[in-house]
Amino acid sequence: MSLLEDIERTFAEVSGVDQMKSYVQAALTEGTSPLQILQSMRQGLSTAGKKYEQGEYFLSELIMSGIMAQKLSVMLKPHLRTDGGQFLARIAIGTVKGDLHDIGKNLVSTMLSSAGFEIRDLGVDVLPEKFVEVVEKEQPRIIAMSCLLTVAMDAMKNVMNRLIESGLRRGVRVLVGGRPITPDFVERIGADGYGADAIEAVTAARNVLTK
Amino acid sequence: MTTLDHEEPDQVPITEMAIDVIHLEKLAGTRLSAETSPQTQVTSDRRAEAGMVATTVLAYQKLGFELIPVELSAPDGWSPQKSADGTMTDEWGRVLSYDAKCRSWISTGSIHTAPEDFERFPFPDPYAPGRMFAIEETKRRIGDEMVLGGWVKDPFAIAWEMFKVTDFVRWLYEKPNFIRQVIEHITDFNIAVIKQIVDAKADLILSSGDYAEKKGPLVPVKFFKDVIFPNLRRQVETAHRAGLRLIKHTDGNLNPIMDDLADIVDGLQSLDPTASMDIGDVKRRYGDRLVLIGNVSVDNLCTGTKEEIIQETKECLRNAAPGGGYILSSSNSWYTDAKLDNCLAMVDTGRKYGCYPIKIPD
Repeated sequence: MSLLEDIERTFAEVSGVDQMKSYVQAALTEGTSPLQILQSMRQGLSTAGKKYEQGEYFLSELIMSGIMAQKLSVMLKPHLRTDGGQFLARIAIGTVKGDLHDIGKNLVSTMLSSAGFEIRDLGVDVLPEKFVEVVEKEQPRIIAMSCLLTVAMDAMKNVMNRLIESGLRRGVRVLVGGRPITPDFVERIGADGYGADAIEAVTAARNVLTK
Repeated sequence: MTTLDHEEPDQVPITEMAIDVIHLEKLAGTRLSAETSPQTQVTSDRRAEAGMVATTVLAYQKLGFELIPVELSAPDGWSPQKSADGTMTDEWGRVLSYDAKCRSWISTGSIHTAPEDFERFPFPDPYAPGRMFAIEETKRRIGDEMVLGGWVKDPFAIAWEMFKVTDFVRWLYEKPNFIRQVIEHITDFNIAVIKQIVDAKADLILSSGDYAEKKGPLVPVKFFKDVIFPNLRRQVETAHRAGLRLIKHTDGNLNPIMDDLADIVDGLQSLDPTASMDIGDVKRRYGDRLVLIGNVSVDNLCTGTKEEIIQETKECLRNAAPGGGYILSSSNSWYTDAKLDNCLAMVDTGRKYGCYPIKIPD
């Protein structure tokens, strides 16, 4: 089995950071392209994601695969500049005003980053005007809003209204997610997409780029 | 208590595992000064805590609830470590941030960055005086008027929150014996606490802390079988030896672990319908062994109409109440953003249609 296949397998089987690091280091030493390593990671993550969707893996495996992906990104960062790696798009992500929860947001950030998106993490309890300011000044292709609390859902609607009022709505795609979010809510507030979990969030992000 | 024996009482009992401050104040007509948290103890100000107990008892009495859950108190003289950034640290090393909307402290971080941090950390003393304050104060106020449930927090849930989640997961993979030992150590703490809850004349043990999320269990089923459930069983056996039952609260989709849970605990609370927990199915499969508490969706209490809540409550009663062994409640608790009118509609519907034998028109 080649090192690239080994790397894919460690992500598909969520084998842990140490094993992943040893394969990646060996691959880099051999001169393997970082982009190929990233591709192997993404294929492995995709397999792990499917297993999570099917109930074979659990949240802890998803979190662990995210940890592994972050460690891999750190290892590859110095090499990617010279290799001319490109991001799919920039996403500004945050937990909305009134909500301090960040586990879901962090997991989605990691998965999106692993899938090739550039992440601008705004943190938690993010004011609606902050989202709008970031859209205006930094022009991410997508903003992603997260919440765990039902009480924070109004803040998402607030952000949508402010984007419309400021004339910025057309230039950005909006994703929402979190425990209380439903497809009906997404439609009501006029967002572009949603993911019921971190795996679906990646699919949703890819989908809105084609809109 | 007839319900806990899986027999039909006169009426389906009703309760809530917790009611957020804003609703307690409206129901009781008072203003609370106590600092609160849904996850841990944050104060040992006994005067404020007594006020909290009084308000909670009054609210539960006004609602006519049959069961009142009560949290442990912090030890006498304990106070959280406060930081310059406005956060504070609890007895377990959880870093808490203040949620101004809900007026409570929630866990947002941890002081433990490595297993060695925890090994050096002064582990809480289960026998520290004062832990039973709220339970004893509640019992003094209610006597035998309501069933009193004393909360302990599940050791897995404490560990999951006490460390950063990413650290817990990484150590679960790379240092599984450490995580096992932590859970066992916290279980020892809980066993000591359960014995004191029994001595404080509680009627029931309640175990908080989630095992699952919407999709399924938080960790692999094997870890439940190898570590979590044996330690849960130790706590249940302690309760049983004292003649008390133990009811487990947990959100999420429990279907992959229901067989084991049904074999260990005496009841389950939440049964979240948005997490694939069909109360009719659970009743059919486990109703002879498990007291069921739940299943009115907390999301619907927040966003639904009164009519939707009435219909949903009737469905819960129809599916779970016949034969006894069912207590009506929401699928978690009355959150800050729940519409109080919806919550009261749930209670009123329970009173109207919850008389045995259950007969609910379509």
